[in-house]
Amino acid sequence: MQPILLKTDVLFFVLLAAAAVYAWHARRHEHLRAPWRQVARQPLGMAAAVVLAAYVLIALLDSLHFRAAPAAAGQGGGAYSRDINSVFDVLVAPLRDGVERTYSAPFAAEAYAKEIVELADGSNSRAYPRLEHGGAHLRDPASERGPDIAARLIGGILIGVALALAVGAAVVTACARKAHAPWTATALAMLRGDGQVPWRAILGTVLVLALLLGCGIELAPYYHVFGTDQVGNDVLYQALKSIRTGLLIGTLTTLVMLPFAIVLGLVAGYFGGWVDDAIQYLYTTLSSIPGVLLVAASALMLEIYMSRHADSYASLAARADLRLLALCLILGVTTWTGLCRYLRGEALKLRAVDFIEAARAFGVSHGKILTRHILPNIMHIVMISIVLDFSGLVLAEAVLTYIDIGVDPSMDSWGNMINGARLELAREPVVWWSLCAAFVLMFALVLAANIFADAVRDAFDPRLRDME
Amino acid sequence: MSETLLEVDDLAVQFGRDDAPVRAVDGLSFTVAAGETVVLVGESGSGKSMAAMAITRLLPSTARITRGAVRLDGEDLFKLPEYRMRDVRGAAVGMIFQEPQSSLNPVMTIGAQIGETLARHRGLRGAALRARIVELLDAVGIGEAASRLDQFPHQFSGGMKQRVMIAIALAADPRLLIADEPTTALDVTIQAQVLDLIKAEQKRRGMGILFITHDLAVAYQIADRVLVMRHGKLVESGTRDAFYGNPQHAYSRQLFDALPSWEKRLREGHAPASAAAEPLLTVRDLAIEFPIRRGLFKRKVGAVRAVDGVSLAIEQGRTLAVVGESGCGKTTMGKGILRLTPLAGGAVEFGGIDLATLDAAAMRRQRAQLQIVFQDPVASMNPRMIVGDIIKEGMLAQGVGGNAAERERRVAELLTQVGLEAEHARRYPHEFSGGQRQRICIARALAVEPRLIVCDEPTSALDVSVQAQILALLRDLQERLGLSYLFVTHNIGVVAYIAHHVAVMKAGRIVEQGPVDEVLHRPQHEYTRQLLAAVPTIGNAA
Repeated sequence: MQPILLKTDVLFFVLLAAAAVYAWHARRHEHLRAPWRQVARQPLGMAAAVVLAAYVLIALLDSLHFRAAPAAAGQGGGAYSRDINSVFDVLVAPLRDGVERTYSAPFAAEAYAKEIVELADGSNSRAYPRLEHGGAHLRDPASERGPDIAARLIGGILIGVALALAVGAAVVTACARKAHAPWTATALAMLRGDGQVPWRAILGTVLVLALLLGCGIELAPYYHVFGTDQVGNDVLYQALKSIRTGLLIGTLTTLVMLPFAIVLGLVAGYFGGWVDDAIQYLYTTLSSIPGVLLVAASALMLEIYMSRHADSYASLAARADLRLLALCLILGVTTWTGLCRYLRGEALKLRAVDFIEAARAFGVSHGKILTRHILPNIMHIVMISIVLDFSGLVLAEAVLTYIDIGVDPSMDSWGNMINGARLELAREPVVWWSLCAAFVLMFALVLAANIFADAVRDAFDPRLRDME
Repeated sequence: MSETLLEVDDLAVQFGRDDAPVRAVDGLSFTVAAGETVVLVGESGSGKSMAAMAITRLLPSTARITRGAVRLDGEDLFKLPEYRMRDVRGAAVGMIFQEPQSSLNPVMTIGAQIGETLARHRGLRGAALRARIVELLDAVGIGEAASRLDQFPHQFSGGMKQRVMIAIALAADPRLLIADEPTTALDVTIQAQVLDLIKAEQKRRGMGILFITHDLAVAYQIADRVLVMRHGKLVESGTRDAFYGNPQHAYSRQLFDALPSWEKRLREGHAPASAAAEPLLTVRDLAIEFPIRRGLFKRKVGAVRAVDGVSLAIEQGRTLAVVGESGCGKTTMGKGILRLTPLAGGAVEFGGIDLATLDAAAMRRQRAQLQIVFQDPVASMNPRMIVGDIIKEGMLAQGVGGNAAERERRVAELLTQVGLEAEHARRYPHEFSGGQRQRICIARALAVEPRLIVCDEPTSALDVSVQAQILALLRDLQERLGLSYLFVTHNIGVVAYIAHHVAVMKAGRIVEQGPVDEVLHRPQHEYTRQLLAAVPTIGNAA
C-alpha cells in the first residue's frame, strides 16, 4: 500500500493545519476567545457546526489517498479501474463495488427499464431484470422487500441510538472530569439544558446523524438507497464522494483569495495615493469582467497544458485533481475583489485612528503598523466573509459544472450529478434520484454553513456586540 | 414660579439581569416648577442622562424602569399607553440632546425636520407651516431664515445646529424642556450664546427646564436649583446660592475642589516661577496646508491654511498652553510639530536641529524625544493588544531598553509611576476606566524618555475629578522628570492651573502669547478678552 498525496490533498491538509494554528492562537488571546465562546453558546449555530463537522470528517477521510498493492486480488471492480483509493472508499466498499448495469430506482430490486431476459427454461421474455447487488438477497422482492426494509430500519435505528449514546457518554465523561463533578449530575444538567453550551442541541444533532449512519450501515450494503445512475454506479456513493469536491472548492478558494484581498485591500486603504489608485483600477477592472469567462478561459488553458504534459497527468484521478485545483485557483483570483473593497474601506477608517498615529509618533514602520495594528482589527470582517462566501462557492461549483467549465466529468461532484439530471429528467420514465440525492446533500451543507455563518457574524460584528 | 410642573418620585432604572443588576438610577425624587430651571449635575455614569430618558420613556431596550412614578402636571406618564405618550413628547416635553451632529438627520432639510414636529403636534401645513418655521428660526437667532430653512444640516456650524435643535424642541410650545448637556460639544463663545438663548426662551414662555450637565460653571449660569447625582442616587439638592455658597455633601465639595483654576493652583503652592528657563523648542513661521482638490485628476486648486505662520517657544520643564476654539488649528499645529502631518513651511528647532528639514529616517531617530498624548482615551490604544505590549511598542521601535527583561521592568516602573499597578500590564484596555486609560497613554509616551510631550486636550473627555488627578499627575511628572508640555486645550481653567505660558490661537494664527498671569489677567488682544469673557465662572452670573 503506497500513500498518495494529490495536490488538492496537500492544500486541504495545509488548510486544516492553518485552522488548528488559528485555534491555538485564539485560545491564548481573550479578544478572540470571547466571540468564539459566544458562537459556542448558540444552539442553532452549534447544531449546524456538528453537521459541518460531519461533512469535514467525510472529506478528510476521502482525502487520505493510497494506491493498493498491485498484486492484490479483487481490486477495482466495475467498468474502469480506479487505481487511487481513499480511506473513505475502503469504508464504504460495498457501495463502491455494488455496480449495476444501468438505472435502478431507490430501494429497487429490479432495473428501471425492461430488457430481454433469458428465463430458466431458455426462452426470452421482456421483463425487468433483477439487479446484481440491490436487493439480491431477496427471493421474492414484491412481498419481502417491505418487511425487510422495515426490519433493517429498526436495526439501523438501534445502531444509531447506540452510537449516539456512546458519543453522549464520552462527552459527559469529558465534561464531568473537567468540572470535577459526579457523572450523573453532569448528565442530568446537560439533559436539562443548564449551562452555557447548548449540549442538548449538539447531542440531538449527533443523534440524528447517528440514526442516519445506522440506517445507512444497515440498508446501504443491501439496497441502493438512492438508486443507480446510467452506468450503474450507486448514487449515494457518488453523492458522498462529492462532499470532498464541494468542500474543497469552498475552502481552497478562500485560501487562494485571502492573501490577495487582505494584502491589496490593506495596502490600498493604508497608503492611499497612487498605490490606492492602482489597486482600485485593478480590482474595478477585474470585477467588471464576467467571472464565467475567466473560468472558461482558464479551463481551456488548462486543457492545453495538460495535453502538452500528457505523461505527468496520465491517470484520470491526477487529471481531475489538477482541474479541481485550477478551478479553485481561478475562482479565488476572480472573487477577491469584494472582500478587498471592504477591507480597503476599513483600512481607510483605521488609518486615521489615534492609536495608529501614536504608533507613527513612535516611528514604528509601516509594515509593523499594518500587521500589528490594522490586521488584527479587520480579522473579524475576514472571518465573517470566509463563512459567508463558503456556501456561495459550493453553489457556484454546481453552476459552473452545469456549463461544462467546472470540475472534470470523471470527478464526482454535485454539479456533475445535476448536469446529468438534465437528460435524466427529460427521460421517460423520469429518473429523479440523482438530482434528489445531490440536492439533499448540497442543501444540508449550504444550510448548515449559512446558519453557522450567521452565528459567527453575530458574535464577531463589533456593532452587534455593543448592543448586548 | 408656581405650581409643580414635573414631579419625579423614587425613580429607579436598571440594566441587566435581576441577579446582577446595574442600577443606573436608584431612587431619584425631585420636582421642577413652571418657569424654574433645575440643573442635574453629575459625572459620567451618575445616571443623569438615564433619568432624563426615563422621564420621556425613551430608554434603550436593555434598560427597565423598575419602580417610581413621573407626573407631568399631575398626569402619571408611566401609566400612559405609547400612543398617548407620543402626544406628550414634543408637545408637552421638548428635548435637546448633546451632539448636534448626530441629532439632525443629514438627508433632510432643517425646515423639514422642524416641520415634522409642527405637523405632528399643531397640524400646520403649507404656507402656515413655513411661516411658523421662519418665526422659530428667527427666534433662535438664525439669520435669513426664509432662505436657510431649505438647507441641510451640514451647511450649518455646530452652534447653528444646536440652535436648530432648540427650534425643534420648542416648536410645539412644550411646558417642560429637558436639555441633556446641550453645550458640552460647543465652543465657549457659542456656549454662552446658546445658554442666553435658552434662558431668554424660558422667560418668554414660562417653561420649566431640566438641564443636565457635568460642568459646575455652566450650571451656575443657568440654575435656579441644583441637584447632584452620584451612582444613580441624589446626594444633594438646594437653591443655587445655597449650593454654591456652602455645599453640604462631601462629594459636592469634592467636585468643587476638583475644578482647575488659578486659585487652586496658588492654593497648592505651584505659582509659576518667574525665572526663565532654557528654550527647548522654537517654532518659527510654521505653516500647514490642506490642499483643495478638484477635477478629474484631483489637481490641487488651492489650499486651506490650517496653520498660518505660527511662531512660539517652549522652555525646558515648562508648559506652554495653546488655547483657541475648535477649528483654529491648535491640534494640527501640535501634530505638525511632531511631523505627523506634512509641513508647508517654517522651522521647528529642537535641541539645535531643525525638524522640518529632516528626512523620514532622520526624523525617526528624533521621535523618541517628542511624544503625544491624545484626547480620546478609547481610540488611543489598540483594543486587541494588552497594556504591556502597548507600552513596549514605542520602546521596541526606538530601541529603548536593551532586552526583554529590561523592558518588562521598565513597563512595571512606568505603570507605578502613573499611579497604576504593575500587574495591569497583562490586561486589555477595555478593562480600564477613562482616567486609567489616559494614565496608560501617558505611561506609553514616557516609555521612550521624551523631553517634550504634546498633550492634545488629554482631559477633555474625562470627568472633572478624574481630570484633576490627571492634571496633578502631569504636573508631578514635569517636576520630577523635567518634561516640557505643549498643552492644547480649550478649557481656560485648565490653562490657569497648569500652564506657564499661554498662546491664544485664532484661524491658524497666534493672536497673543505670554506668561500665563499676563494673558489671563491682563489680556491685550480683543479676541483674548472675548474668549475670557465668554468663559462661565462661578460667582459671575451673566
